[in-house]
Amino acid sequence: MADVELRALTKEFPGGVRALDTLDLTVADGEFFALLGPSGCGKTTLLRTIAGLEAPTSGQVRIGDRDVTGLVPGARDVAMVFQDYALFPHMTVLDNIAYPLKIKRQSRPERSGRARGVGANLGLAALMDRRPAALSGGQQQRVALARAVACHPSVFLFDEPLSNLDARLRLEARTFLKRLQRELAVTTIFVTHDQAEALALADRIAVMEAGRIRQVGTPREVFGRPANTFVANFIGSTPMNLLPGVVSGGGVAVAGGTLTPSTITPPTAPGERVIVGVRPEYVSLSTTPVDGALTGEVSIIEHLGAVSLVTVEADGALIGATVPEDREPVPGSRVWLSPAPGRVLIYRESDGELVT
Amino acid sequence: MGWARLPAAEPALDAVATGATAAPAATMPAGRAGPATDVVGLGRWRALGFVTPGLVLIGVFLVFPALWTLYIGVTDYRLTGTAARAPQIVGLENYRRALTDPTFYRSMWLTLVFVLGSAVLGQNLLGFFFAYALRPARPAVRRLVEALVLLAWILPSSVVAFLWIAMLDRDGGTVNVLLGQVPGVAWLIEYPMVAIVVFNIWRGTAFSMMLYSAALSGVPPSQLETARLAGASTGQTLRDVILPNIRRYALTNTLLITLWTFNDFTPFLLTAGGPNHRSEVVAAYIYNTAIVGGEMGYSGAISLLVLLVNLLLALVYLRVARVRPA
Repeated sequence: MADVELRALTKEFPGGVRALDTLDLTVADGEFFALLGPSGCGKTTLLRTIAGLEAPTSGQVRIGDRDVTGLVPGARDVAMVFQDYALFPHMTVLDNIAYPLKIKRQSRPERSGRARGVGANLGLAALMDRRPAALSGGQQQRVALARAVACHPSVFLFDEPLSNLDARLRLEARTFLKRLQRELAVTTIFVTHDQAEALALADRIAVMEAGRIRQVGTPREVFGRPANTFVANFIGSTPMNLLPGVVSGGGVAVAGGTLTPSTITPPTAPGERVIVGVRPEYVSLSTTPVDGALTGEVSIIEHLGAVSLVTVEADGALIGATVPEDREPVPGSRVWLSPAPGRVLIYRESDGELVT
Repeated sequence: MGWARLPAAEPALDAVATGATAAPAATMPAGRAGPATDVVGLGRWRALGFVTPGLVLIGVFLVFPALWTLYIGVTDYRLTGTAARAPQIVGLENYRRALTDPTFYRSMWLTLVFVLGSAVLGQNLLGFFFAYALRPARPAVRRLVEALVLLAWILPSSVVAFLWIAMLDRDGGTVNVLLGQVPGVAWLIEYPMVAIVVFNIWRGTAFSMMLYSAALSGVPPSQLETARLAGASTGQTLRDVILPNIRRYALTNTLLITLWTFNDFTPFLLTAGGPNHRSEVVAAYIYNTAIVGGEMGYSGAISLLVLLVNLLLALVYLRVARVRPA
């Protein structure tokens, strides 16, 4: 059991690519922590640097009260689950789970007993003598987890652990993974490019872009108040509306209308160019005129199950709003959109940072 | 089934066929096999025309010599003399003679030593070592070493044999000059087997190196990293991850280089089997028997025996390759 602390961590690959840029981060003991970002953002490099599979160019990695920056992976007391599970094809499930214990010179009965115990907890009891090739993807994933669990590390590192499973199985494995982490209470850092997965699993999320952390926060914070337009764009299964606007008088001129102070806190100086962000889930749609609402024509309706995403064209801008499945407007009709009070975010246009 | 009846393609194909010659496809009797029209529109006879040169070459240079060897193996056919003009059938006499001939057994034993020493151990291990050691090397270093090793493989046998004779010469040879003794050791005379084994390792390691390079690059990095995270040493990683992953490649490689080395004639260019048969591997023995000794019939019988040994080796390897580890 240990926390993980990164101090001014930098990783530069030969050729000058900066995968990690003076990164500071503390993951608390027992926390389930997600590194989220698009491909190439450095999240996997960060995970591999914590594991010791990559050496940082500068900076420090601390696990518990130890500085492990110079230690080989095997001395760091971490266990990693790879995206492809990395099971040894020529070993049985039992031998795979027991492998790290074998390297640690545990006797055969001791390590077999422990591997069987962990395997049984993860529902693998009937499969212990099979080889990985004779297992389904979900079973292979659990064997990889069991191998990590069996060596009782102080930190788990998961590299996209669910991305090789099909969509249905992924949801089950997600729930399973979260329960397992709760029970073991071992500090866990996992990498994902799937924002829904990060929101569902993590206690806290770090959203990364180009080797930097753009925001760290709980799923609620990251979803509800993205710190900048990058995070706003990345988080959420329906993309957030990000509309260019200009501060004027008591409100913001946007998409042919004006959002008045009743729905937003007026920011900064009049005349400043801003970007107004509001999630489609927080936009209410009306087929009758509403005071102070933006108005436009319905162009597209997408069915998302219990709700539908309606895209409205308002003065050249496209604005999304979700409506219950039985309240869909007619395509081409005129509708009025009003954002929920307190849910409108204002970003500076110059650097994309949140103003209020 | 298959290509014979493609209704959509047929008219166009016929047009192509009739345009050039007297419509071979159209004038073919429509037998049970259907009209001889194929997707390329050649027709049976022109297709045969394209295949014939290849078949003739294979027949003349592969099938005929093989059958001819079978035939002369049961005769007393010689290069010169009466037996050359009118060879007599002697039945299995040549085979009886071979199986009771100590020189034949000695050549088989020398071949075994040659194959084990230079191929199964030498090329295999050295090739794996090069491939393994060059993985973390800088690309420039890797390419240079690979190029040098490959050079030994692609040069013509007669050229490298001459180079080695010059290198191992007693009076002015490079090795003796380097050792600072002129005249020094007559390597090819005093250590003929060692010489051809070392020569063949040098000559053939490139293939094993390339094959193992490919095999090693196929070992999933995540498995290697899992071993690293578990704290496995280099030896443990080799034993538990790398070797099990490249096992099949190793068997294939061993089979190929075994058969190649078994039938390799190049040692003859260095030592001619001598001195006094001390490096006379079967390939050299057959040559010495047939061309130098003139006993074509006897050498034909030996060749067939060697072929059977080759088949046996191949079967053993294929059998081993099929068995899954317990």
